[in-house]
Amino acid sequence: MAFSVVLQKAFLLALLSLRAYQNEVFDEPIQLVPEVQNVSTSSKPQQVNLQWTVPNLAHHQELKMMLQIEISRIKTSNVIQVVNYTTTVKWNQVMHWNWKPDIPLECVKYFLRIRGMVDDDKFLLQSSWSNWSSWQEAHIPVSLEPNTVLVFPEDPLVEEGSNITICSVYGRNQHNVSCYLQEKPIPGEQLDSHVSIFNLNNVVFFRDTGTNFFCNSIDTKLEDGIVLFVSKVLEEPKNFSCETQDFKTLNCIWEPGVDTALAWKQQPPQNYTLFESFSGRRKLCNKSSCDWQITDDSQEIYNFTLIAKNYLRTRSVSVSFHLTHRVYLKAPHNVSLEIINTTKAHMTWKVHSRGNDYTLLCQIELLCEKEVIHEHNVSVHMSGDYLFNDLDPDTEYKASVRCADATHFWKWSNWAEKTFSTPEAAPSEALDVWRIVRSKNGSRIVTLFWKPLSKSRANGKILFYNIVAENQDKPAKSKHCSIPAPASDTQLTLDQSSYKLHITANNSVGMSPETILVLSRESGNQEVVEKRINGTKDGFLISWEPRSRDVISYIVDWCAHSQNQLCDLQWKNLGPNTTSTIISSDAFKPGVRYNFRIFEIPVQGPVYLVEKQTGYTQELAPLESPEVLTSNLTSHSFTLSWQGYASQFQAGFIQGYRVYLKSKEMHCHSGWDKVLLSDNSVCCNYDIKDPKQKIFTVENLRPESDYEFSVRSYTSVGENQNATFMMVTTPDEHSHMLLKTMLPMSLCVLLIMVVCYWKSQWVKETCYPDIPNPSKSSILSPIKYMQNPHLTIMNVKDCIPDVLEVINKAEGTKTLYTGAGKLHAENVTKLPPVPTEKDSCGPVPCIFFENFTYDQLAFDSDSHGHVPGPLKDILCQLGPLTPPKNLLNVLGNSNMKSLTGSPTEETSLIYVSQLASPTCGDKDSLTTNLPRPVHCSEYKMQMAVPPSLASPALSKNSDLSSMILLGKGEP
Amino acid sequence: MQAQFPQKTLLSLVLSLLLLSAALAMPGCSSSYQMLLSQLQRLANDTEDPRSLAEPYMHHQSLNTTTLRKSCTEHPAAFPSEDALRALSKLDFLHTIDTMLGQVQHRVEALKQQFVRTQNFPQLENAEYKIRGIRNNVYCMSWLLRRSQKTLEPTQTSSRALLSPAPTSDTFQAKLDSCRFLWGYHSFMGSVGRVFSEWGDSLSRSRRHSPRRALHKRAHGFRHSRSSQRPMPRSQLPW
Repeated sequence: MAFSVVLQKAFLLALLSLRAYQNEVFDEPIQLVPEVQNVSTSSKPQQVNLQWTVPNLAHHQELKMMLQIEISRIKTSNVIQVVNYTTTVKWNQVMHWNWKPDIPLECVKYFLRIRGMVDDDKFLLQSSWSNWSSWQEAHIPVSLEPNTVLVFPEDPLVEEGSNITICSVYGRNQHNVSCYLQEKPIPGEQLDSHVSIFNLNNVVFFRDTGTNFFCNSIDTKLEDGIVLFVSKVLEEPKNFSCETQDFKTLNCIWEPGVDTALAWKQQPPQNYTLFESFSGRRKLCNKSSCDWQITDDSQEIYNFTLIAKNYLRTRSVSVSFHLTHRVYLKAPHNVSLEIINTTKAHMTWKVHSRGNDYTLLCQIELLCEKEVIHEHNVSVHMSGDYLFNDLDPDTEYKASVRCADATHFWKWSNWAEKTFSTPEAAPSEALDVWRIVRSKNGSRIVTLFWKPLSKSRANGKILFYNIVAENQDKPAKSKHCSIPAPASDTQLTLDQSSYKLHITANNSVGMSPETILVLSRESGNQEVVEKRINGTKDGFLISWEPRSRDVISYIVDWCAHSQNQLCDLQWKNLGPNTTSTIISSDAFKPGVRYNFRIFEIPVQGPVYLVEKQTGYTQELAPLESPEVLTSNLTSHSFTLSWQGYASQFQAGFIQGYRVYLKSKEMHCHSGWDKVLLSDNSVCCNYDIKDPKQKIFTVENLRPESDYEFSVRSYTSVGENQNATFMMVTTPDEHSHMLLKTMLPMSLCVLLIMVVCYWKSQWVKETCYPDIPNPSKSSILSPIKYMQNPHLTIMNVKDCIPDVLEVINKAEGTKTLYTGAGKLHAENVTKLPPVPTEKDSCGPVPCIFFENFTYDQLAFDSDSHGHVPGPLKDILCQLGPLTPPKNLLNVLGNSNMKSLTGSPTEETSLIYVSQLASPTCGDKDSLTTNLPRPVHCSEYKMQMAVPPSLASPALSKNSDLSSMILLGKGEP
Repeated sequence: MQAQFPQKTLLSLVLSLLLLSAALAMPGCSSSYQMLLSQLQRLANDTEDPRSLAEPYMHHQSLNTTTLRKSCTEHPAAFPSEDALRALSKLDFLHTIDTMLGQVQHRVEALKQQFVRTQNFPQLENAEYKIRGIRNNVYCMSWLLRRSQKTLEPTQTSSRALLSPAPTSDTFQAKLDSCRFLWGYHSFMGSVGRVFSEWGDSLSRSRRHSPRRALHKRAHGFRHSRSSQRPMPRSQLPW
């Protein structure tokens, strides 16, 4: 205490002596003139560094001064900035002051000067500004060629959103200089004759490789530029926090924000430093996390500062905490589960705890099929356990546990999980069964349907279903069957006895409670009228009138009404007091009719069908159009029918049909309406409002007219649009009568013709018997003769000649041929005209000689010796190339030879037909009739003429002629 | 007679071993001249396309503006001209390719420094692979030619000094220089591909020429960097 009093007195004495000294020394106002030691400049970064001292300071003197620096640009009088600042100056110390010029130092000159004023409380006297120091020039000189363009500053680094001034310097030969930021021209401001400046405000980040700013001279095509490196703004780290799991390491994490790194090594990624103020330790971290080693176990409170830094900015964020409040436990370990029975399991686990003194809170979850079904919290120290009750048999569960510090909750640990399954148990619920009963051939076909048990009720995999049909009347006739899963229906054929059906589901452990259905002798399916109901998209409201009071339950079953006989029967069990229900199902579809039946399950007696209802959730227009048949087509009407149209299977209740009729004269008769169709065509429409009427006669039509018709069904929603028009043409009015008369007449004529044909042979044979044609005789066929000479000799006995004439040469010449072609009048009945080319094949009646003889050789000479028939035939066959003169020559010349003149004479006999052919066109008859045997009696007369008929020998042996007729071999 | 037989056998054995050792001396080299030539042609044609390197570089460095593109493509860095390459002997030609590609490889490696992440510019690595492949094939082809010519013809080119980059001071000029260099590289590879296409099917034919004249001609083609006009030396680029 005494020491402090002494010290205080000494301090006062010293202070007084100092005041005395000050008054003595600084009697005048203090003038401390700063003296500039050096002005240095740097290009990158653009900076002016001013070094100065206060030379008049006393030895080891230290005082606070206010300083003023004046900055001029281009010339000293052009002051652009005055900077004031305060600092403490010391004796013999060089002070530094940095300044960043707005226009690059390469482009303009700056001038600086400084003055000072003592601003120290130690000096009570009023002080004033000192004199200015001399002007100091700050500039970076460039060597500028006359043709050069230069841009400054070099590779500036700025933050996004800041402003920067760029300048270009060009030589004296450069006049038209343009500058661009990438492709955008930047207007400049002329500072002097060879310097321009460009102010870029609010610069934006373009690319980490920088934004190019360049100037080029239009005259010399020279360019120079800089790369403006725009850095993104460094962000403050977010969500900075630290925690420990083991009290040995603190793990600090944060969200770093955008990366501000730039290429060309202009700026590396921002760095992060963690600083702890109590310990004074610092650690360089990676981008988003840092592990801090706890070196001092006694330190419980930590104050961390995270510092993010790049070349342009520093950001920091701090957090302070008690270590035990930031405990993030490790996940529990050694989790195990013991299955006690089908519904119970016991779980145990251990935790990473600092000891029994610490209480931890653990959360337990039980998941089934990824859904949390149970959650519970327990307090533990080193280990924990929990009993799961009410589990479902045969179910897989996942038990999870996590823990946290119970006293200072910070964060849950990670989950530790364990999966387990409970064993199977017998099914716990009876099956929901329904049936359809049909009678067939005196038996009952019972189709049983059941709904599969839910997983929670099946308690295991259902293996099969047992069905016992217990005959109530004849117990010995009970039936049993086992249906393997997953069937959901079966069919039984039972007699008319009363039955009790027992149905159970079975798994590997046991069977479900049985479901009993009673089938009485009476069917209970009496006829009830089907009622139409209107459904909605939400389903059908089914209501009914109860029949009796002794009801166990009601069952509503339903099925889609379709042409397919297979039906996915659905049913719903309802309580005894229920008289209405809403049946809804995702399976309901618009345009599908559903049939509902309401059954009453009485206490006693058969199941009773209460009502039948049918309806649609939403009616639609018919999808199918009737297939229409036309009949009874007359000149004034026709009938349409569509009996096969299944109206009950349409997309709505059919309310009727519309018949559309189109014709040229659009006149609609009574009962028809004129309507405009969707294709803008006009037609007549007849509405049949009775949906059961499927036949319609269109009347009052015009004969011989075209009509188009269409029949469309309609529901309450509308008619079907798919129907097409069909064409029908009414017949002529008289054609009907004509048809009625002509058809029988034609039939009669046809009958007569058949009869006539049938009797024609008889008539012919009776009235016009066939006249045999000798030329068609096989006997006389020269062909056959040629082929078989033996057949050329006609057997005399086969023919009955009526005249036989032997011609001698001398006499024959006179008698047969007189003068120029005159035939003997006795032998020639009629001489036909000589055929000419013109009429050789004309329809001239060919009535020829009855007896005529000629020489075969004469024909041979002209290659026409083969004369199978009458002359007319020959002429017809030869045509214009066959002159009749051969024949005349035969007759007129001396070609007639004796029968003995040649060894072949016998084979040269020619038989001339004694019948005249009616026409000459019957060429085919020659060959076709050739083989036919002809009765010789039909020949009037025929003779054989030897080739040597006119020879003298013949006259001498005229008797021989009769021998020739006998033929060869008959001498 | 009995002594001659083992001597001949021994000689043939030695020759066989020599050939075998020669073959083993170039592991991984194909001995097929045709195959090597076709591979070299294919690689040269691939690398001729500026889209493989120069165009992506221009995009990444924002040089794909009208003016800067023009500045880059109209003044590519000087590589040996096609005429100069054609005038070289095969071996000298291969040697020149190897030398030039060595420098390109070095430069491409340096280009990586111009990016924050080279993953953003995968074409750089592709180019490196291809250059390495070409150099390997050039090496093998050179070995084949030397083996066929028996006598080793001294190569008379040394292009190393010719392509050494001028000191580029600022980033803007470095960007342009790199772009011009890559453009010149593509052009050079186009010339190389065309010269290769003129090589015959046979290994035996080898041009005689005046490499000194060719190199002299080529040296004239080199362009001095404008960056020398800068007022003062700026930071040295990585290459």
